[in-house]
Amino acid sequence: MADSLIAEGLEKYFNPETTAEVKAIEGTHAASYAAKLARVKVVSAYPITPQTTIVEKLSEMCASGEMEAEFIKVESEHSAMACVIGAESTGTRSFTATSSQGLALMHEELHWATGARLPVVMANVNRALGAPWNIWADQTDSLAQRDTGWIQCYAESNQEVLDMIIQAYRLAEIVMLPVMVNMDAFFLSHTTEPVALPKQELVDQFLPEYNPKYKMDINDPHAFGGLAKPDTYMELRYNIQKSMEDAHRLIPEVADEFEKVIGRNHGGLIEEYQTKDAEYLIVTSGTITGTSRIVVDQLRAQGLKLGLLKIRFFRPFPVKEVQSVLGKIKKIAVIDRNLSFGRCGIFFSELQAALYNCECRPLLNGYVAGLGGRDVTPKTIEKIVNHLIASEKGEDLIWMELNI
Amino acid sequence: MFGVSINNIIDIDQKYYSMEDYQGDVPRWCPGCGDNGILTAAQRLCREEQLPPEKTVFVSGIGCSSRFPHYMNTYGFHGLHGRALPIAEGVKIRRPDLHVFVNMGDGDCCSIGTAHWIHAIRFNMNMVVMMHDNGIYGLTKKQASPTSPKGTKSNTSPKGSYLDALNPTATTLGVQNVSFVAQAVEWIPELLYEIIRQAYKHKGFSFIRIMQRCPHYTPAMFDPLMSNPENLVMVTHENGMQMSDALKKVYKNVVTHDPSDMSQANYYANMTDKMPVGILYKNENVPCYEELRKPERTVTAKLKQEALEKEFDKFGIMPTE
Ligand SMILES: Cc1ncc(C[n+]2csc(CCOP(=O)(O)OP(=O)(O)O)c2C)c(N)n1
Ligand code: SF4
Ligand SMILES: [Mg+2]
Repeated sequence: MADSLIAEGLEKYFNPETTAEVKAIEGTHAASYAAKLARVKVVSAYPITPQTTIVEKLSEMCASGEMEAEFIKVESEHSAMACVIGAESTGTRSFTATSSQGLALMHEELHWATGARLPVVMANVNRALGAPWNIWADQTDSLAQRDTGWIQCYAESNQEVLDMIIQAYRLAEIVMLPVMVNMDAFFLSHTTEPVALPKQELVDQFLPEYNPKYKMDINDPHAFGGLAKPDTYMELRYNIQKSMEDAHRLIPEVADEFEKVIGRNHGGLIEEYQTKDAEYLIVTSGTITGTSRIVVDQLRAQGLKLGLLKIRFFRPFPVKEVQSVLGKIKKIAVIDRNLSFGRCGIFFSELQAALYNCECRPLLNGYVAGLGGRDVTPKTIEKIVNHLIASEKGEDLIWMELNI
Repeated sequence: MFGVSINNIIDIDQKYYSMEDYQGDVPRWCPGCGDNGILTAAQRLCREEQLPPEKTVFVSGIGCSSRFPHYMNTYGFHGLHGRALPIAEGVKIRRPDLHVFVNMGDGDCCSIGTAHWIHAIRFNMNMVVMMHDNGIYGLTKKQASPTSPKGTKSNTSPKGSYLDALNPTATTLGVQNVSFVAQAVEWIPELLYEIIRQAYKHKGFSFIRIMQRCPHYTPAMFDPLMSNPENLVMVTHENGMQMSDALKKVYKNVVTHDPSDMSQANYYANMTDKMPVGILYKNENVPCYEELRKPERTVTAKLKQEALEKEFDKFGIMPTE
């Protein structure tokens, strides 16, 4: 691949030194190219809208020989995750992707991948769950997998999808925990953006070959998936928690390392935007972040001290990071494109819990918006900000733009 | 004025249901989609049998074919991908009085729902099961399915699929308690109707694999069958599918096969060079699960009547001695 593939004028966004090619691609294809660059050897998946194009692209690249991997099209997502678990047990870097109902169907094995300490990486396209059927953006699918022990991150752009997946392998294979990289249905999955594909040799440098300590190896036999009695199970859970804590420490380090080699850094567990002197703050994840940036710029131009906090990692949850940022703010609006019935937005409740032990507790409002793919426009976000400014007491659940 | 007029009651009892009475939303399948023909056959069956819409339920999974219940003006349940059969079992076990129909795609039945399919055969609940086999995942836009012929080029098999296709009729025949297996093609409406009718008449799990054209994604899949009628083997019998003389003139490859003969049924199901159409297997003696497990109701209608009469007698005119 030639360096000249960066179109004129794009050099200022994409470093020609590290970029093999800039491609205008959808979020799903950014995920496929990431898996290719990570040199995965096994891909197992079952199609579901809007994930389908991830696996279609991968199957195309496997069939053409562009990728040295085996693509196995199994009969359900349950089987896809089981198959990836099997492949990873043989010490093979593997990949799968799903969405919504498919992720729900994988649930049992999500726990298994964690417990078996297999560094599977999966792309999940955040789509609403039925009933009723809805194929549009909603994060409740992945957030409902909160306690499976998967590291979870949420991307804002197609470039971030690609970079996150490559970094996910690096992280997963150090801490030996699986990682789920999430992107919003359609707003990212089917939106075309220019994406820099890093040079393969640089990715190889950043992401060494996968060589786990334990794998199915005839010369070093082990038993897998045994029984752990009450005298050992708890210690194994403790180990997983410790690895999650390691991940917390390592996420910014891996991001820095990636920056050194590839030249881009999207942040650690969180990303702060205009937070320095901010009095008011919006907290977002996924694509609502991009829209919020615009609103922050506009309202700042009018003199409002507004900032933005993007949560990139939901597990491990950036407790100390949010404490250090939010402690200085007067009023905070958390926007959730998800809902835990009977409670409130899920990011909101996590944040609220994280602040409980803080000395200075800001006013915190939870806004639920954009469920099932409804647009969250700059207007919606402005309404949220105005409501926040007028609030005198924090409210856990405020529904935005409900037609009732 | 409100209230039930006596005329209405008479009307309910004596209503004649026409085709329109079974038509729901306007179908949104592609032009030329074979699902349309299956829908018409199902609506015709309902009319011929005068199935009260409120006593009829169509259950589906998800896929193009699973939009079926939306287009029927009966009870409908658009279920989850692959889960149509257990949902139908849940309905049937509690409401054996309902006429239960199941529509599912080849992906629904032979991929994600395979376990349910195998076990539903074993349960042998009384329902009509239509498997719309277009040999592709239609709704998700062209990925090879287990019934795609080997070599099918699709978005997940750009160089052609690697495996031999799964054979749904042969598979069904291999499961314990199998009681009815048929194969139909939707482009011969007369026979499609006849097979669905026989499936309805059969008491038990009536499995029909219906070859269904998908002009959008697999336009040439059935060309060999459609361009040369000799490639269809018409499996007829007095206890199975029957054909008009007019049809026999077009489809000349007609054989007689007694559907109670399992080994011959297997022979036809496993044909590779030609496609059998008809009722391959039928066994009326396999018990239905909902009857095996029919609860013994302690409070029967008879018991209730006796108790009520005893009560009424207390107030009635006592016969003089
Ligand atoms: C758990 C789950 N996985 C995947 C999907 C996506 N999906 C919907 S329909 C379908 C396949 C449809 O194929 P088929 O059953 O053959 O029906 P057709 O559209 O061809 O009629 C798939 C994969 C889903 N809805 N749920
Ligand atoms: S895609 Fe194929 S199966 Fe689906 S509606 Fe269109 S023709 Fe029918
Ligand atoms: Mg199909």
